[in-house]
Amino acid sequence: MSAETIVAPHDEFAQSRRSRWPLALALLVAALLLVTAGAAAVLARLGRPFIASPFNATPSVGVASDNPAYLTKLASQAVREIEKVHPKGTYIVVDSYRNQLHLIQDGKVIRSAVCSTGTGQVLRDPRNGKEWVFDTPMGERVVERKVTHPVWAKPDWAFIEDGYLPPKDSSERFDNESLGNYALYIGDGYIIHGTLFQSLLGRRVTHGCVRLGDADLEFVYHHAPIGTRVYLY
Amino acid sequence: MRLSALACISISLAAAGAKAGAIAPEPTRVAALQMEASLAKKPDVYLLLDPERRVLEIKARGAVLDTVPLAGIEVISQQPIMGRRLPSHPPIPAIWTVEQGAGDSDREIIAPTKLVPEPKNDDDDTEDEPTTSAGPTPTPTPTPVTPSSYRSRLDNGWDLWVTDELPPQTRWQTLLAAVRDGWRRLHGRAQNHIPAITLAMTDADAQRIHHLLCTGMPILVADEM
Repeated sequence: MSAETIVAPHDEFAQSRRSRWPLALALLVAALLLVTAGAAAVLARLGRPFIASPFNATPSVGVASDNPAYLTKLASQAVREIEKVHPKGTYIVVDSYRNQLHLIQDGKVIRSAVCSTGTGQVLRDPRNGKEWVFDTPMGERVVERKVTHPVWAKPDWAFIEDGYLPPKDSSERFDNESLGNYALYIGDGYIIHGTLFQSLLGRRVTHGCVRLGDADLEFVYHHAPIGTRVYLY
Repeated sequence: MRLSALACISISLAAAGAKAGAIAPEPTRVAALQMEASLAKKPDVYLLLDPERRVLEIKARGAVLDTVPLAGIEVISQQPIMGRRLPSHPPIPAIWTVEQGAGDSDREIIAPTKLVPEPKNDDDDTEDEPTTSAGPTPTPTPTPVTPSSYRSRLDNGWDLWVTDELPPQTRWQTLLAAVRDGWRRLHGRAQNHIPAITLAMTDADAQRIHHLLCTGMPILVADEM
């Protein structure tokens, strides 16, 4: 009997165990996959994912009439109302996100300038909790008056922001440097004015006013008469 | 601001007038014009969402101040992957009003703890440097990062979701999203959102209209205005 043909009983058992390994592994993987898929299916049934469907843009609500003459009359009336208030002539548009100001004359942009607008911060007075919001206002305003070499009467918040008590003597509030050479007052204390801090133009750093560089301010001052409408957004 | 938008301010009105004058307008179009007229009467800024042209316009007094192109307008709702019941859409034309806006929150608060008398410096002979002179103190705080995906609540019970990325919608991705949401629900961490009208736009556009979606902002939804 040759050495190769002699197989001990325990070797035979080991060989048979080795031959079953791949099958066992495959069964284990299959079982794992089955469990994972089952768990995923249960979780998916439980879940509420976001489903998108196109927005139905078909108009469905209208004026309760099918009389063509009446509908035409109503439409013309609405168009006339819009035309009546529509900006005409010279007006100013301020984009407070991009910090840009445009001066428009008869539908054409005659000057675009970098400006600074409100920070959006809130200042709280520690004495009484009064708050000021430093937003540049949105909507339509009007240039109410124009001033050369404007003097700024500093309001309370200008002191409180720096940690100072507002002075009782009003003469301590006047400042003839900060607003630059020109100011266009657009109501409620908001002004289009100059700045000592030209390097901050293009950033939201003001208390709600619109700051311009010297040359742009001079141009706007000379081309926007009193009554000019200002649109801020 | 897009200069072309400025130049075209009157064009939409003229077109509207022409349409109104030529043949009898549709009752829905008349309703839309009346709604716009009611908004243009006020000095406030309003938004016009035009699903047909896929634009969001920033307007005041009937004039287009700026235009935001939209990559998509979708209604997005949370649904089971089997047995979906899609929500019915709000009718248009309509004026939606922002009830709780994304632009209302996240404000930085400056709150000094105590106030002291301002020191007097009228006795010194030195000239003030411009940076130390009195006046509006610059506040060069770093600009807060404006989100490019946010929700605002509307008065019609819907949400307006502005996003730079719509949720993926392939079958495989929806299944994965369902599994993930199921896992969160199993652990009590699921978020239930009410259905949202979703405006997809670039992240830059989403950021620049963030401050406009504040409480009270009216949004006119109408076609081809």
